[in-house]
Amino acid sequence: MSADSDSVIGRFLKRVIGGDKTDSSVKQRHTELKRKRLLRRLSQFALLGSVGILLIGSLIMTGFWREEWIQYWPEFTEALTQYFPPKLYFGFLPAVDVGRYYQFWVEAGLVGEAGITLAIALAGTIMGAPLALLFGILGNERVTPFPINFIFRGVMSIIRSIPSLVWALIYVPLGGISPVTATLAIGTDTIGELGRLLTDELEEIDDGPIEGISSTGADKPQVITFGMITQIVRPFIAWSMFILENNVRSAVGLGIIGAGGLGVTLSIEQQTFKFTNMMATILFIVLLVLSVEMVSQRTRSYLRGNDDEQLSLYDRIVGLPERLSKSLF
Amino acid sequence: MVLRVENLTKRYNETTALSEVSFEIPDGTFAVVLGESGAGKSTLLRILNGLTEPTAGSVYIDDEEITNSRSDVGMVFQQHNLVEELSAYSNALTGTLNRTGFLRSLLSRQSADEKELALEALETVGLLDEAGQTVSSMSGGQQQRVGIARALVQQPELLLADEPVASLDPSSAETVMAYLRETADKRDLTTLASLHQVNIAREFGEQFIGLRQGRVVFTGSREDLTPDVLEEIYGHIETKELREETKQEEVIEVSSEETTGIGAKL
Repeated sequence: MSADSDSVIGRFLKRVIGGDKTDSSVKQRHTELKRKRLLRRLSQFALLGSVGILLIGSLIMTGFWREEWIQYWPEFTEALTQYFPPKLYFGFLPAVDVGRYYQFWVEAGLVGEAGITLAIALAGTIMGAPLALLFGILGNERVTPFPINFIFRGVMSIIRSIPSLVWALIYVPLGGISPVTATLAIGTDTIGELGRLLTDELEEIDDGPIEGISSTGADKPQVITFGMITQIVRPFIAWSMFILENNVRSAVGLGIIGAGGLGVTLSIEQQTFKFTNMMATILFIVLLVLSVEMVSQRTRSYLRGNDDEQLSLYDRIVGLPERLSKSLF
Repeated sequence: MVLRVENLTKRYNETTALSEVSFEIPDGTFAVVLGESGAGKSTLLRILNGLTEPTAGSVYIDDEEITNSRSDVGMVFQQHNLVEELSAYSNALTGTLNRTGFLRSLLSRQSADEKELALEALETVGLLDEAGQTVSSMSGGQQQRVGIARALVQQPELLLADEPVASLDPSSAETVMAYLRETADKRDLTTLASLHQVNIAREFGEQFIGLRQGRVVFTGSREDLTPDVLEEIYGHIETKELREETKQEEVIEVSSEETTGIGAKL
């Protein structure tokens, strides 16, 4: 009996609290690992579940599930054929009727509209850049003592937290719904965006030239100009070109709310359901933005000693919608 | 111009970088501060230039105490400290900043005389033809010569050089030191250079100041710079090699056997 209980109870006890020492440590480790794996699985499921719940909740809030899906689908496919009007080339080759796009470009004078969009972006960038430089420099601790420098950094942060579209709304009472308002909005946005990039650049400059200039007996404004600003001239031009790229895309977006240029054309053609014309405008926007990007990136890679990442033509075209939306907000 | 330093002391919290340093350099002398890293050479030069405030002590130029007169003191740095984005000429011209107003210097509206002065300084260091070249595209030795030119344009009474050749290869080091010495001689400039290479110091220096752990352990001429003195400045271990060097300089003919011996030891 006692031997029996030894074998039964003893084995049970061994399983629960472990038998001899080597056996117990291996088993203990095994159980620990099992428990860890189980916990990991559970947390993975929990994570997946919560992402799912977030998605479903968000879709409900956006009213994603609706019967109109089925109702509107034929309309969408109809729109698609208007976006890309088909044509039989040589009587047998079906393709997009590019001629109709071109016709609209000429009829609507899109070159002129593109000129307005580009002018908004250029004027905004050129007006905003010097102020960005000023704020960027004044936000640096070496120039303005802490905590006063944070006033300038704070102003730039506030500017950045407001999308250019909202800046345009703020300026409407001043400039009406016009290219002037768009220019002011883009200029303001440039101060925040470019200023912040320059503050970062200034954090990384060498102390050597600053000390060198100080050693000549130069005064503080001279030390800032010759010791510090000289070091960020190239980055300043490079970043300004980058911001110009973004600003051209912003200018298109601002046009949609009526601020002039290609965006206005886009919005009118969309509202009058002339989808072929709308797509023609979009393609023209793509051409404009790609040209500005190419010029900007060439300049930047030249200034940075050719080590800047170069976007391939494929990335340029495929990534354009994303970059358009990014630069608007 | 006579430079006189009296009881100069510099403390950083607990550490004493310089302790009651006193010496005098006669007018037009090319003096060299010797010492191992951390002996206080850079601190001494930075105080003389006004980049660092001393804890105690005074500096006199021609018996007149100076407190913050950087413009009278030209400085050449180990890492050149030039504005690399600008040309050699523009860098030399920054030597005029102390006597040019902000706006004039910003618009490069220095007088014709000042501009000529910058070009002359570049000519002195053998870089007149490279005046328009961007500093970043120049070699280390050339950059250091631009550094010397900038200091000269300041029209200083005292020229300081903080390890001017430490980051250069031996041949460039020799060239830069030759220009520095020649310039100082031509303009009768009192010069104080910190060097850690004894052979270069011996070749170019007239007067020597030995620093060890922030204290002056030696002042004297080239002849006084014996192996024993070097041992005092650099400590025992480092001096072993220096002794070998000195010996080799003295003995013109070294037998091949001995050379092999030294080589084998190394």
